[in-house]
Order: sequence, then C-alpha cells, then structure tokens
Amino acid sequence: MNTAAPLPAVTPNRRSTRARLRRDWPFLLMAAPAALLLLVFHYVPTLGNVIAFQDYNPFEGDNALEAFLASEWIGLENFFTLFDDPAFWDALRNTLAITLFQLVCFFPLPILLAILLHGIVSHRLRSFIQSVVYLPHFFSWVLVITFFVQMLGGAGLLSQALRERGFEPWDVMTNPHGFIVLVTAEAVWKDAGWGSIVFLAALSTIDPSLYEAAAVDGAARWARLWHITLPGLRPVIILLLILRLGDALSVGFEQYLLQRDAVGRQAAEVLDTFVYHQAIVPQEWGLGAAAGLFKALIGLVLLLLSNRLAHALGEQGVYSKS
Amino acid sequence: MLPHRQPLTLLKPDIPGEGPLPDGYLEYPSQLVRVITEKPGRSSQPIQTMTASWGPTPPGLGRNSFLDAVNAELGVPVAPSVQDGNTFAAKLSAVLGARDVPELLSAPSWEIAKIPRFSQAVKALFADLTEHLQGDAARAYPMLASLPTAAWQNSVWGGRLAAVPYPTDGPFPWALFYRKDLCDRALVAAPRNIDELYQFGKRMTDPSRGVWAFGNVFDMVQMFFKCPGTLGGWRRTASGGLEHKYELPEYRQALEFSARLYREGLVHPDLVASNGSDSKQLFNAGKMIACQDGLGVWRGTQSEQSQITPGFNIQPVPLFSAVGGPPLAWAGDTPIFYTFVKKGLGRERTEELLRVLNWCAAPFGSQEHELNLYGVEGRHFTRSPDGSPIATHLGRRELADQYRLLGGRVPSLVGTADVPHFVTDLLEYSRTTYPYREENPFSGIKLELPPNYSRGIVPTEDKISDIVRGRRPLTDLSQIVREWRVASGDEGQAFLEKVLSENGR
Repeated sequence: MNTAAPLPAVTPNRRSTRARLRRDWPFLLMAAPAALLLLVFHYVPTLGNVIAFQDYNPFEGDNALEAFLASEWIGLENFFTLFDDPAFWDALRNTLAITLFQLVCFFPLPILLAILLHGIVSHRLRSFIQSVVYLPHFFSWVLVITFFVQMLGGAGLLSQALRERGFEPWDVMTNPHGFIVLVTAEAVWKDAGWGSIVFLAALSTIDPSLYEAAAVDGAARWARLWHITLPGLRPVIILLLILRLGDALSVGFEQYLLQRDAVGRQAAEVLDTFVYHQAIVPQEWGLGAAAGLFKALIGLVLLLLSNRLAHALGEQGVYSKS
Repeated sequence: MLPHRQPLTLLKPDIPGEGPLPDGYLEYPSQLVRVITEKPGRSSQPIQTMTASWGPTPPGLGRNSFLDAVNAELGVPVAPSVQDGNTFAAKLSAVLGARDVPELLSAPSWEIAKIPRFSQAVKALFADLTEHLQGDAARAYPMLASLPTAAWQNSVWGGRLAAVPYPTDGPFPWALFYRKDLCDRALVAAPRNIDELYQFGKRMTDPSRGVWAFGNVFDMVQMFFKCPGTLGGWRRTASGGLEHKYELPEYRQALEFSARLYREGLVHPDLVASNGSDSKQLFNAGKMIACQDGLGVWRGTQSEQSQITPGFNIQPVPLFSAVGGPPLAWAGDTPIFYTFVKKGLGRERTEELLRVLNWCAAPFGSQEHELNLYGVEGRHFTRSPDGSPIATHLGRRELADQYRLLGGRVPSLVGTADVPHFVTDLLEYSRTTYPYREENPFSGIKLELPPNYSRGIVPTEDKISDIVRGRRPLTDLSQIVREWRVASGDEGQAFLEKVLSENGR
C-alpha cells in the first residue's frame, strides 16, 4: 500500500514527453527495480485470480499455464458456493467483530502510549521503556501464544495459583466467549509498543513553542493535550485509520490458526483461516481465490469510502486527486 | 504389472510373522551381510527428496555427517527436505498444486487420502514406474522385488505402477498408551473396562501437581464403544448397504463419555491443539498419563525417554469392549508411505533414482540397513554389549528417517538393548488384538473418495470436536449429522455403495 508522495506542482505548459524523459531518466532508472518487483510479485500473480471463475484443476495439461487454460470456466459458481456456506458467514462475522472490537480497544492504545512516552523527560528511562515495549513485536505468534498459555492456560501460572489457594481455576485460553478479548489482549501485548513508533514520530514534529505559548497563556495539561497534541496527531491517526479499514477483513492468520482448536471453529475461524481450511488444504483453489477476491473487493470499497470521509473532514487521507 | 516377488531373507526370525504382523527378531545379529555391491549413483547431481518426520528438523545437506556418510555409500548426494508430519497434508497440497514436486516424494498414505483428485496429480506429476518394475524387470532392483505383493497392489494409480510402497508393519492405526511406570508407583492398574478407564482418569489426575490423566483419547474411546472405523467410519448393514458411525448409538455413547472426561477436568488443559506434538511432550514429561498414538511411536519414545527418565515405561492398554461382546480393533493393510518419482526426468535418471530406492529398501540383517537406520558406528551409534546399536546424541540429532522412509523394506521387528522388552511386548499386543480386527468391506479396492465428500470431513469433525470439548451440547449431534448428510454424507454413501456393487460385494 503505497501512499503517493505529494505531487510536484504541475507546470501549466507541459513539456514534450521526450524532453521530460531526457530530464527525468535518472529517476525512472532508480524507480525501475521497484516497479519490476511490483510487476513480478504483485501484478503478474494478480492474473491468477482468474481461477476464481474456474473449476481450477492444477493437474490439467502439461504445465501450469495449460492448467489455467484447460480448467473449466464456471462463471460465478465459486462465489455462489462460497455465499451458500454458513461457515463462510461465520468467518466473515468473526472477522468483522474482531476488527470492530480492535478498532475500539486496540487502535487508541498506541496513541496513548506514544503520548505517555513523549511525556517522559529522562532520555535514558524513555529509551529503556521503548525497548521493553517494542520487544514483543519481534516475537513470533507461536511464542506469544505459548506465553499466554503458560500464564493463563488451564495448567498455567494463574490457574495453579488459584488452585493452591482453593479457588476454582480460571481457564482463559479455552473459553470461546472471551476469545475476542483474549486475541485483542495478545495483539496489544505484542504490537501496541511497535504501533506507537509512528505516533512518536508525529509528536516530535509538533512545534514545542506551541506548548510553551499555551503554557504561558495558562493552558493546563489537559487543555494542551486536547488543543495541541491531538490536532497535531490527527492527520496520522486518520491515515492509519483508513489503512486499517481497508484491511478490515484481515485480522491476522497464525494467531487464529494456532488457537482454533482451543476455542473451536465457531469463535476462531476468520476469513484467512477459512481460506486455509476450506480451500488450501482440500485443494479447492477456485473457491479460495473467490474468497480472496471477495475480501479484496470489500477492502477496496472500505478504503475508498473512508478516504472520501477523510476528505469530507478536511484531511488529506491516503491519496487525493491532483 | 506388479513385480515378481523374490523373497530375500537374510536371517531366520525368532517369532515368524502372521498376516500383516511382521517377523520378530529378539537379538541383533553379530554378522551383517553386504547385499548391494554396485554403487547406485552414477551422476553427481543432487537428488531432491521430501519425507515426513514427527520430531525436530535435522540439519540439512552440508551440515549433517549422517547424510554425508550415506551419500558417500550411494555415490550420489541426496538432499532431503524433511517436513513436519503433523501438517504434511497442507504442505503436500501446496507442492502438488504448484506442480513443483521433488524428484523423490515420500508421503504418508493417510495424508494422500485427504488430497482430492490425487490420481490426476499422479498422472500429471509422477513417473510411470510400470516398465521399470513390472514382472521380471524388477530383478534389476532385488530389494524392491522383495517387498510384499499386497503392498505393490496398493501402489497402482490409474492402471499404472506409480510408487514404491513402504509396507505396513502393523495393521492398527491407534493404541492407547499409558505411563506404566507412573501408574505402578501410584498402584493403579491399566483399565480393563470403560468404568475402570473413567476411574483411572479420576485417580491419576492431580492438578495440584500439574498432572492430568488424559490427552486425546477420542478415537480409542470410539473403538472401545465399537464404532466402525473403515474409511472414517463405515460398516455394512445386515441388508448389504452401508451405515456411518455418526448415526449409530455407539458413537453417541462414545461422544458422551469423551465429553464427560473433558467436563470433569480429566484431560490436560494444554491439550488445546489437536495436532499432537505438544501432547507428546506432556506425555513424556509425565504431565499426562495416557493418550492415543500410533504403535509406531512406541520404540522411539521408549528408547529416547528411558535415557532421560530412568524406569520410563510406556505400554498400550489392552483393548476392551464397552458395549459387550469381543472388542473391536480398527485395522488397515495399506502401506504406511508411498514414494513417488518425478515425471519427465529421463530414463537414465529414473533408473538411478530407483537404484537409490533399492538401496534404501535393503532388509534387516544387511550392512546397508544398519547404516540407513542408525548411521555410522562410533559417530551416530555405539554398540551395547549384545551388539545392538544405541544412538548417540549426534545420531539423535542428525537422523530423521531421511532414507528409511524412501525405499520401503520387508517389515521386521528387531530387539535392541535400548528397548529390552519391546519386540515381545509389541508382538504380544498385536497378536492379542489381531483377532478383533474390523472387517473391511473395501479391502483390496483402490478408491478415491469424491472431492465433495472429502471436503465435508474436516468441517464435520470440527463440529463434533465442539461437542467433545463441551462447547456445544450433545443434543446438537443430530443436527450436525443432518448437515453432514445433506452437504456430503449422502453423496459419499451412494459412491461407496456403488463401489461395493461394482466389485460384486
């Protein structure tokens, strides 16, 4: 997801293509490797989406290309199969519920954390805390979930401590009703610190003299936060919110795959694990591609809508027409 | 089309095999013979292989002295890719879908059963071995020619000999293992009926010490309640049709019993993932007292863990019936693995690969077999006083059946000093269980289930697992079964009944 850099002011009298080429060729050369990578690893594979409309059989013909050509064209049948499957709607519902929940309970936390960190004066203390809160981002999901199981699982620290004191153990890890809170807690533990980096960067761009002037005018801490800090962060917050909305149907994969057996399909199946279990493993490639395409379309629509909303609110958003 | 069998017995068994039960040898021979004189490899082009393993991944080519030793013997480097056996189907599915298969691909037969259109994949991606191995042509590969004919029969796809089989050395897919050492200490005997199994759970569970009685035992409980197990649960009715376990009262009882074990907290709480790798660790560490597993893990677990825990002893619980009559044992006679050769490699390379497979198939009693299974003496194993090999630390680290699973072998059970009673214990369990084996109405018929039916299996099992773990009430079973019938069950039944009638059964 590339955000377009601010476009240079368009010169009213356009030069000829040749002249522009002569002027810009070093830039084009520099951009070429990235464009090539994008072409090879994004645009060419995108053509593979054609199998969403096929009863794709990878074993037709003598090579992969022939398999594409020889597979039967079935129009929208994969989509009908998908929409007929209650498990798909379960997965979609879970995904949306988790996205919404995390939007409310996870999204603001890195902002808060960044503001708190920004308020620490001692450089040493600040970089120490930063290291500690960034660290879990580099743990794999397997490790994060193992930590949680060791701490909160039925045989974990919490349950054993409760048992020793004669209480009923509380098994957090296998309770499907609290699953949405659990995965959010895991995500917060792992990524809240990492997510605060971008906001810290934005905070550092706020002119300190604004705070000084406000303090001189008698603005209290909260007033400064409300009238200076948050408006300063607003463009970044909106930008990340839009990107998050465009990604609303992806909530992660390993985290859910690993915990699916613990709480059951009903609670833990999200769109990505649905595709894995219903398409990749049983080799229903066409169905998987249909689910992927559906996901991408919804994401695109959400992205466009939220971008338009951002414009309506007077923000720049992810991109704007020149 | 099948190879003419040329039996090759290097040693006389102490306990001769019976049906699918292997020959038993109580002692390791002092003299090993060399059975392959000519180096199988002629090119120096590395052979890409893919095999399953249920342990830690060993170091790869270039960092593994075991591979170097065997490759030197083969005369051609084998570069193995060892895949996690618990998730092999997903990997296999991706490899096949991308049409990007290694030159030698060994796959567990139960994982192949999960792949729809597998016969088409075989036709598109793997070499036809018929002309190389049929009839007397197999004489060129004497070790392969010594494999049982029944195993070769299973290696035919679409009228072509498509794979080299790894014949089964025991027909039973599951056993209920328990930690006999811990139970003896607690003065608790192995359960002999279903009530004792429940009591066993009550007595051995002690959460304050972090110990729970059970891991996953659902398949074994189904067996105790005599639910059918053929092709996932089909059996013949008196009228000649088929019925599925989901619709039988036995299954409901088994489900109820299993759900009760979970409800009453007799199952280890960490047993959240149904793929069993964590479960093995809990079992080995004594945090879990009993769990189901394949009989194939017995030797390895016993050998490895008795080094760590003195007195470590696992045993299978003898089979019993919870619903009267003699017990029922699920059984299968298909090979454990199949090895496929990539298509389009040319005659010379294919023959080289087959000679390598031939080397890997050298039977017990040969020097090749010892190198294949144990590595190099002094490096990967040392000899115990009775002459049997005992793996060293390096051996345990570097060996992961990289060659063993490729070539099949005549099944045999060999006593070694690290697992003193293993051969007699296993053969006794097998012989006791053998008379109770389930009759398979499809025995000898090669069939591929309709894709839609295969697709319905996992989602249904997921829903049933919800009941076992207490997330859905038992009363939901009839609804789940109704959904299964409509989505795929009826189609599967019609298909299977047609297969039976076409085969005149």
